[in-house]
Amino acid sequence: MVTQLKPTIILPILVFLTTLAAGNSIIAQEIGNYEPEKTWDGNPDLNGIWQAIGTAHWDLQDHEASAGLPVMGAIGSVPPGQGVVVGGEIPYQEGALRKKQENWTNRLAADPETKCYLPGVPRATYLPHPFQVLQGTDKIMIVYGFAEANRTIHMDKENPEPPPLDTWMGRSHGSWEGNTLVVDAQGFNGEAWFDRAGNFASSALRVTERYTPISPDALLYEATIEDPTVFTRPWQIRMPIYRRLETNARVVEYKCVEFSEEILYGHLMKKEEE
Amino acid sequence: MKRRTTFTKIFINTAKFGSRLCIFLSCLLFPFAVGAATSHHIHIALSNISEAVSWYEEHLNCEVIAGRTDAVNCDNTEIEFFLGQTVGGSQGTGIDHIAFSIPNLDAKMTELESVGVRGTGVRLLRFEDGSLVRDIPGLFKIAFITDPWGTKIELVQDEDLLGFHHIHLNSTDPTAALDWYSQVLGGEPASLKGMLDGVLFDNIWLLATEYTDGRPGITQGRTIDHIGFEVADLDEAAEQMNRLAVEFRQEPMVPDNARSSAKQAFILGPDGVMIAVVESGWAGIEGEILAAGSTESTELYVVPRTPWGEPDLQGIWTADAAHGIPLQRGIDVAGTNELTPEEAAARRERGTLSSIWGYDREWRDTTLGYVKSAPSTQVAMVIDPPNGQLPETTAEYKAAVANAPPRIPPQRARTPVDLGTYVRCITRGPVGMMMPSIYNNGLQILQSPGNVAIQKEMIHETRIISTEPREGFGEGLKTWLGDSHGRWEGDTLVIEVRNLNGRTSYLGSSEEMKLTQRFTRTGPTTLEYQFTVEDPAVWTEPWTGMFNFIRDDSQYELVEYACHEGNYGMTNTLSAARTIDARQAEAAANEE
Repeated sequence: MVTQLKPTIILPILVFLTTLAAGNSIIAQEIGNYEPEKTWDGNPDLNGIWQAIGTAHWDLQDHEASAGLPVMGAIGSVPPGQGVVVGGEIPYQEGALRKKQENWTNRLAADPETKCYLPGVPRATYLPHPFQVLQGTDKIMIVYGFAEANRTIHMDKENPEPPPLDTWMGRSHGSWEGNTLVVDAQGFNGEAWFDRAGNFASSALRVTERYTPISPDALLYEATIEDPTVFTRPWQIRMPIYRRLETNARVVEYKCVEFSEEILYGHLMKKEEE
Repeated sequence: MKRRTTFTKIFINTAKFGSRLCIFLSCLLFPFAVGAATSHHIHIALSNISEAVSWYEEHLNCEVIAGRTDAVNCDNTEIEFFLGQTVGGSQGTGIDHIAFSIPNLDAKMTELESVGVRGTGVRLLRFEDGSLVRDIPGLFKIAFITDPWGTKIELVQDEDLLGFHHIHLNSTDPTAALDWYSQVLGGEPASLKGMLDGVLFDNIWLLATEYTDGRPGITQGRTIDHIGFEVADLDEAAEQMNRLAVEFRQEPMVPDNARSSAKQAFILGPDGVMIAVVESGWAGIEGEILAAGSTESTELYVVPRTPWGEPDLQGIWTADAAHGIPLQRGIDVAGTNELTPEEAAARRERGTLSSIWGYDREWRDTTLGYVKSAPSTQVAMVIDPPNGQLPETTAEYKAAVANAPPRIPPQRARTPVDLGTYVRCITRGPVGMMMPSIYNNGLQILQSPGNVAIQKEMIHETRIISTEPREGFGEGLKTWLGDSHGRWEGDTLVIEVRNLNGRTSYLGSSEEMKLTQRFTRTGPTTLEYQFTVEDPAVWTEPWTGMFNFIRDDSQYELVEYACHEGNYGMTNTLSAARTIDARQAEAAANEE
């Protein structure tokens, strides 16, 4: 089950990375050079608290600064940012593109994040909250800082088992390819979005994630997104994820339900002034 | 060279009447194994025949054995039932299922379907296309069910061999496993209808399917606990088995208080299958001796370690068995320290009926794991004070309760806040979240060096506990479940919970509450959980509760309990309350 990276496949991986992502060639070089700390079983040690930095949670693609709710002033505005989609384009099918545009128009009411709903994959990874990785004996758990989201990554299954039911966070099976943790996630319910811009997929979504240590305090995160009912071809996002270096760093319990209740049930509440 | 061995019995663990684990262990060492000579002990009235005996009699044409309350005879194959707490059905172990051949399978399945889950607890397994019966060309028709206690049963229509038909093994190497049974126990290698390789013991087939998902689970502790074979001379057989390097779990011996002078032994077969081998004339052990025997045979349990050396609590556990244990000792159990299994089953039945309203039996059986785990016989959770009662509350607390505003009933709820944090899918609080719930009782523990993640399925909450000393939250940061400080005391994980925001309350607990939790593995499938509540504002002394989580990796996986995401109950309750408001306003306006 533990697959060590064989010398013969290092070269194709590097070629793949450099051709796909000219802009990330420095990252690619580091993968080739960096030898991470190992756990008891000889696999890279990904234990710790990690967080993405950037604006992917606002929009996976390039985006300019824009206004938010006027009442929030500059705090609520959307900061500009560079995209994390390899090649820049999300290859929507025609009808799906219209749906994405509708999502954008209705985003304040429709975004599951507003409602404190489970964020799905890959969105949980780059929300502006830390997450903790625990490498157990035969499973890996990721505990996210938003909406009590979590995933169990089954490392002990020879073959992916069919997900018992569709869920927000899907079912994840993992394996090691050299120093890379590869996670196959599927079995999603199709309700989650990818960002606050309304990018989305259906329940046919399959995400293949790659977590590769590139320095003691950074991972390269790559996710290949496939959904033949929404996209014309698979596409990829890529970003580094950083270790939280505070000595007392924690994924602090954040129960956001109570902050969503006005939006969800406000019309059913008894107003005191009446 | 080959000796003739007769296949005699299957031992089925009837979880529903489960009893204490120690009795279960002693049963494994000294089972109620009875050979051919069973007719000379008689003293149990027919009205005491257990539900399991009746079930096999009614549905699989097995016959009650005169004088026995714990066994049935199914065409010269004896099935014995014994009390014990199980950790899952037979599927996925070295003995996947047993099979009976029925003259008219379609009619039998129609009969079972019409009886349904409601009547008997039988569960019909469907093929992928939704059908119950499949006709295998060249073989026969087959179907699968599970009995009410989780044993998987195949029903076949093989006119050549009616009645008890075969035992189906799971094996990482079926050919080697069948060879082993043939060599060690003397069965004849043969082919069933020229299609399936097997080993024949008289008229009973032993078949094996390749198991590809790692290794099959060990049978011990599952619903088919072990299978038994009878030999003419056990010493001679043992000698030969020793030459074949068979692993003995118990050397041949005549146990104390055996009903005859025949010996028995236990050996371990391929793929974790426990096998009893008994001598002709074996007639079991007097039942009442078992408890005494258990003290001699109990071995100290050694808590396993993680590869990095910490006590290993990892796995999927459930509180299903603990559902129904009251917090405090009731007056009806004065003088007892433990319920009988029947009393425990009745208590759980009462508890579920009162707590989950009109949900039907099928749903409860499935969701509460009725078919998987025996209800706990524990009298009450509170173990300290030793009288099982919560300590006296303080005068201040009593005054506060007397002056508290009346609770707002759900039908008058103004906002979600009136309905409480559980209904809002926020949390059941630091004490409540560990308690057995009416469903979704799973608990997953995963460890990395220096950290323990404890995840509860209900609502879905995960706590990460560092077991190394570390800086805690400052005074300015309090949360619903607080800041957990862990440490290992021997094999026990001790957690002190600080920085609670006090916005939930367990039976009146205040924001001053200090909670200490202790998790200890006390057996391969038992995780003892103790919780101590210190809250001098409410109780005059600390108190401690305890119950066990039972390990169930084989059948249980935590599902994503997306509570808030699917909280239709909140919308419905609030909209009903607003409708009541509107009607009352209308009625008031009409009166004016």
